[in-house]
Amino acid sequence: MKKIIASGFIAGTILFIVCYGGLFLAVRFFPALFFEYNNPLFNSDGSRDVLFYMHSFIISFALSWFWARFKSLFHGHFLLRGLEFGLVYALVALLPVMWISFSSLDITLLTVVSWFCYGLMQAIIAGIVFAKLNPM
Amino acid sequence: MIQLKYVLVILLLLLTAQEKGKPVKWALTKSCSLKVNGSTNINKFSCVIPEYTEPDTLVLYTHKGGEEVKISGQMILSIKSFDCHNGVMTKDLRKTLKAEQFPKLTVTFISLSKYPNPARDESVISGIVNISIAGVNKRFDVAYRCTPDGLKGITLVGTKTVNFSDFNIIPPRKLGGMIKTNNMLDVEFTLKAGILN
Repeated sequence: MKKIIASGFIAGTILFIVCYGGLFLAVRFFPALFFEYNNPLFNSDGSRDVLFYMHSFIISFALSWFWARFKSLFHGHFLLRGLEFGLVYALVALLPVMWISFSSLDITLLTVVSWFCYGLMQAIIAGIVFAKLNPM
Repeated sequence: MIQLKYVLVILLLLLTAQEKGKPVKWALTKSCSLKVNGSTNINKFSCVIPEYTEPDTLVLYTHKGGEEVKISGQMILSIKSFDCHNGVMTKDLRKTLKAEQFPKLTVTFISLSKYPNPARDESVISGIVNISIAGVNKRFDVAYRCTPDGLKGITLVGTKTVNFSDFNIIPPRKLGGMIKTNNMLDVEFTLKAGILN
């Protein structure tokens, strides 16, 4: 349990820096990719900003528990284990969610694909951290 | 003594009446429009209400001995008529301006610094308007560019920079504030009127 929380916290901190830093730079250098977010579908009054920034910790703790349960299924170098873990998560959890999001929300395919890639990247980074910190 | 008082009151009334000129009526036409230019940290937007579907009349009261013109009348525009040339931006602006709760944007004309001379080519004058958005009224000084349309018509283009916060509206922010709409909005309204008398 202690390992789940510790590695979850470390992965969450890394994801927070990498993902929000990456997002900040992407908004700055590729603004055209973000026009879609002017959609009223997205919260615009700032009331959920804290929840938005907590996301990296929510996903890292969830993935940390998932890793602890199924890490014996992933073999090889820690980078490879992290990569495989990320791909499994993307296939099992992300793909169906993105599918239903695209089919039911007024968003473009580009937006959904970017969310999928973002989630995949998060899971791979978290997987690498877990494979290093909590290998056995 | 009482008779003298009556005479004085009548004289005063006559003098006051003489100071006011004849009211002039301007009939606003369907060609009136309103444009709003704004920006976010990732793009610019320009939204327009391209026509005025509720033609109205403005009454202008000129005063002898003074240039200022008092006005009574207003333009009432539907927020749902805003078109930002992009469906997503249009919906977002309508939501920001609380279109469901406050469907109308009102420009009430208060005064002009002077009566625009239809004989001149183009002139610049100033004026005061009340703008009401999302249930909040705010008074603004506006600069107008006046262009005569013959002797029986006139075009006034009023421009003013306003802030969302003037109307207690929080500029939209998305993705935890990574995408932010700037507080400032450039408002331009075009009055095309026929001079009735």
